[in-house]
Amino acid sequence: MAGNDVAQMAHLMRRAGFGTTRTELEAYVQKGYENVVDELVHPERGTPIAEDILQRYFGGEGAYVGLWIYRMLNSKCPLQEKMALFWHHVFATGLGKNQHILASSDQIDTFRRVGMGKMRDILLALSKDPAMLFWLDNNENRKGEPNENYGRELLELFSLGVGNYTEDDIKNCARAFTGWTFAQPIPLYPHGYYSPDFIFVEEEHDAGEKTFLGHTGNFNGDDIIDIIAAQPACAQFIARHLYNFFVADEPQVPSWNVTPPRDAAAVETLANAFTESDGDMSHILRVLFNADFFKAARFAKIKSPTELVTGILKLVGTHHRPEPGMGQYAGATSLMGQQLLNPPTVEGWHTGKEWIDGGLLTTRVNFAVKEVSDAAKPGIQDVIAQLKALGNDAAPEKFVDKCLELAGPMQVNDTTHGYLTQFAAANGPLNFEDEDASEETESRVVSMLQLIVASREYQLG
Amino acid sequence: MARPYGLLRAGFPYLKCLSMRRTTNFPIDIALGKEGRLYIMCRSDGTAMIRKYTVDDEDRGTMGGYGKGDGQFTWPVTIIADSAENLYVSDEFLHRIVAFNSEGEHIGTWGEHGTNAGKLNGPAGIAFDADENLYVVDSLSHRVQKFTKDGKFLLQWGSYGTGEGEFNMPWGVAVDELGDVYVVDWRNDRVQKFTAEGGFLFAFGSSGSGNGEFNRPAGIDVDAHGDIYVADTGNDRIQLFNAEGRYVQKFLGDATLSKVALDYMMTNASPNRMRDMADLEPQKYLRKPKSVAVSNDGLMFVPDNGSYRVQVYQNQAVPLTPQEFSPPRRSVTLHQE
Amino acid sequence: MTATPKAPVLVVVQLTGGNDFMNTLIPYTSGIYHDSRPVVRIKAEDVLPTNDTLGWNPHATPLMEMFDAGEVAVVQGIGYPDSNRSHFRAMDIWHTCEPEKIGTEGWVGRIVRELDPRGQNVLTGVSFGQGLPRACALAGTPVTSVGDLDNYGLLTSIGDTSQREQALETFKQMYSSTVGNGIVMDYLSQTGMDVLKGADELQKAPATYTSDVEYPKSSIAKSLRDVARVHLADLGTRVFYAQHGGYDNHANEVPAHPRLLKDLTEAIQAFFTDLRAHHTSEEVVMLVFTEFGRRIRDNASGTDHGTGGGAFIIGDKVKGGLYAEYPSLEPSRWVHGEDLEHTIDFRGIYGTLIEQWMGIDPTPIVNGNFEQIYPFSE
Repeated sequence: MAGNDVAQMAHLMRRAGFGTTRTELEAYVQKGYENVVDELVHPERGTPIAEDILQRYFGGEGAYVGLWIYRMLNSKCPLQEKMALFWHHVFATGLGKNQHILASSDQIDTFRRVGMGKMRDILLALSKDPAMLFWLDNNENRKGEPNENYGRELLELFSLGVGNYTEDDIKNCARAFTGWTFAQPIPLYPHGYYSPDFIFVEEEHDAGEKTFLGHTGNFNGDDIIDIIAAQPACAQFIARHLYNFFVADEPQVPSWNVTPPRDAAAVETLANAFTESDGDMSHILRVLFNADFFKAARFAKIKSPTELVTGILKLVGTHHRPEPGMGQYAGATSLMGQQLLNPPTVEGWHTGKEWIDGGLLTTRVNFAVKEVSDAAKPGIQDVIAQLKALGNDAAPEKFVDKCLELAGPMQVNDTTHGYLTQFAAANGPLNFEDEDASEETESRVVSMLQLIVASREYQLG
Repeated sequence: MARPYGLLRAGFPYLKCLSMRRTTNFPIDIALGKEGRLYIMCRSDGTAMIRKYTVDDEDRGTMGGYGKGDGQFTWPVTIIADSAENLYVSDEFLHRIVAFNSEGEHIGTWGEHGTNAGKLNGPAGIAFDADENLYVVDSLSHRVQKFTKDGKFLLQWGSYGTGEGEFNMPWGVAVDELGDVYVVDWRNDRVQKFTAEGGFLFAFGSSGSGNGEFNRPAGIDVDAHGDIYVADTGNDRIQLFNAEGRYVQKFLGDATLSKVALDYMMTNASPNRMRDMADLEPQKYLRKPKSVAVSNDGLMFVPDNGSYRVQVYQNQAVPLTPQEFSPPRRSVTLHQE
Repeated sequence: MTATPKAPVLVVVQLTGGNDFMNTLIPYTSGIYHDSRPVVRIKAEDVLPTNDTLGWNPHATPLMEMFDAGEVAVVQGIGYPDSNRSHFRAMDIWHTCEPEKIGTEGWVGRIVRELDPRGQNVLTGVSFGQGLPRACALAGTPVTSVGDLDNYGLLTSIGDTSQREQALETFKQMYSSTVGNGIVMDYLSQTGMDVLKGADELQKAPATYTSDVEYPKSSIAKSLRDVARVHLADLGTRVFYAQHGGYDNHANEVPAHPRLLKDLTEAIQAFFTDLRAHHTSEEVVMLVFTEFGRRIRDNASGTDHGTGGGAFIIGDKVKGGLYAEYPSLEPSRWVHGEDLEHTIDFRGIYGTLIEQWMGIDPTPIVNGNFEQIYPFSE
């Protein structure tokens, strides 16, 4: 199997999914890159995860985030989960305000359902999502007393970006969404959460004439979304978001109106794909993953906590069937600064370099090191089995190369490689065939993997 | 006790609701003790406990807890009581049976993970026969095993499949007073009835949401009349079948506020207002019930898994003698006497 | 001991879940108190009176003793307008001083930035417990988060000491190579090296600490002992943060809350005894706060989320006594017909500590000017 094909596929699966086990990776390579892209962008053709099994073993809405991580690891349509995460980043809605985990998890379910369709449908679903309506106060947006919060963020953060609309557009946008709210759900006590449902309250809706982005009419919210989705600025804005999430780290969103994209041509390509497909995510993503700028962007992003955690779990090959304790991984991403369902503000998580500070790096490194410490895990056993081919008295360089290959394939610079080789050489000969030395060998492999996942390079994906 | 010749089904009304969120979070099963004592098994992600409770809606504390140690459970599924009111709990993650006395002291644990005879692989439903031997549904090995109370293997049957006596991840089990065994064949959406030794007798149910159909049924119980109660989890209901497996009726839930819930709401002004603004109809329905238990005096207890409570119904069936119940007829009739 | 006065140190103790202030400092002579809480009330004869209307929970005896010795300033009725009864939101408000919008900058983080603007000492702020509370979060200002002081740092899951040292050495080599790697790699290098440096420093704390003071066995005692160990190691830490959870006593408050008060107050007493034994108690002031008080009426088992709570400022330099006003129990004064009203804004209490104790301008830290109290002796 050609090394570059493997590395290219691993790159695709880190970005379009959450990493792979080695076995999965090799199976994907067999299928061929473009075929895999096709499969990824059409989750509707794949086999969905068995919901009855999830329902049987993971009870209770409190388990949702752990269960989501389980889905990320085990979905046969990982891009669907990745897109749900993408929209969660963009349409950041915080559980801290609503305290209604069912509303927040319903929102992620909605992103999973509509997230690879057309932009218009996605924005419409968003605008009817009770968690979002409450998060941005649209439940208080009424005829004659508009609350502009949702109207403003819809334009600024969810679709167009600063500079592509006026304050009057915001006012009229907000007016169009008056009366878009949700029915009061039965409160939590004494019998648990009930999902809120969207309702349109006609008497609270301002049916008057509005002028929005140059169009005039008695617009309702759907009309506004139609206008937004047809804006070139919307194509540009979503293209840049996709680039930032799937290709390479951009600066934080609030600076986008003053800082140009790092690769304007790439964003243009994605924006064109948006326009030519009427905002069809599935089509844009196909263009993205097949583009040279994507293929060339290996390790150009700092892994989000969710990517780091799922990537490690894929490497060690655990959690491919239901078992308790998925919640600990929800806890792990939180400690690394990404509490799923609860982004800090409506801007979402700051990404890239901002995923790293002293405490967060410590948490990332210690988590990763701990996960690879148990040689009995299936993924580590796989690595050990593949190393047998090196035979006895293996050269430390070869050992390091092979470990890096199996842990990624990873790229490290020459100095890092040099130190890892020194480390490998420091404890005597490496005998992979020798059965008597197997315990010692396993511990040598674990130590090497620990350093690899502790490296700077491993923070990049 | 001999089965009645027939039944006059006068009604099966809702009686009351027990407990609330925080006291019984995600109740997955219930064991009935004497003098109104109840043992409610609660399980959710990272927590598990037995809540001791009474039919008068009184909280009597907890037994056991989440974990892997002695007297703990990780993924408890079923709780049953023996004649001395010792409690037995199956744990489908730790592949074992844990026993407590009614005071909550841990009195034993047995079971070893494996697929050979006598080993456990995802034990789900458990039930005693009249001699207090224990039937254990070994869900991941798609079989039923019979043990003595302290874990000595007696016999087994079943394998993966859809035929008679075959299973796909079975869940609940019940034994009637004649010794016959009922197994909920979870992923095949049916119930199978066997002799005490595993001889196939009959099966009923198929996938769907119509009367007598199932969407991933879980727990089961059989009352002294031979009536069969099945927790039809995916359809959010309990279904009642007669002794022949013919559909009789369904229970969708009729919950009212329990006594403790009422007390609680009296000190919570804001939720009271929210309730006033809400459509309250959904609050009465069962949400993903995973088991059902019937008492000798005709009470049906449904741990309402998604609603943190137990709904109680009162059976009003009157036993009939042959004098009171004419012989079976082959054909339906319009003739009135 | 050196003769020069040491820089003032602030220890923040967060009681997570909403401490029941009414059952901590109890209006034991009020009929309304007893009538509203048939289940969780502390009987008048059990209360340890401090004046005609207020008395201590009998399980808070150590705190009462410190109060009687004049070391505890009780801030009665602390809160903020339109209190939010959600834990997360309420805690966010306390952490960021932003009751109206969602804030991201923690007040402790801002103090640390003020004290160490160039981030020269990553130990200027140290927080104990799992993960950094938002109070300590501020982009670009490191506050060190310590889960386990005795096993702090990188690669802690490698149990074998020599293996870990060897791995740490390679880690250090890998992270110290900085030639022409680009800004992201350089940033990772810098951060990794900072962590190593901080860990080396922190290791001195357990290594140098000796004490005859025995702390009780509780999580908060462990945390406060860690605070003492780091403080006594003289690593330049100016703000410590510790947390004590379990105060969300909706149910079974009667056995649970006294146990918490006992653990908390015994730990605080041991902590100050320890500092005194090391002649460092005059440098340290402690703030004990919680996100809200609890409902006036009980729910027959515990109490639900409420508003107006209480905080404590503790230390040798503190002028003990009761500050601000105990919220009125008169039903006509109940907020939303069920809650105590607050009588002083928490941002003024932060301001009191920041300005009068730490000597820093509080306005940009707490987002405004708020009424202060004067709880320090000259």
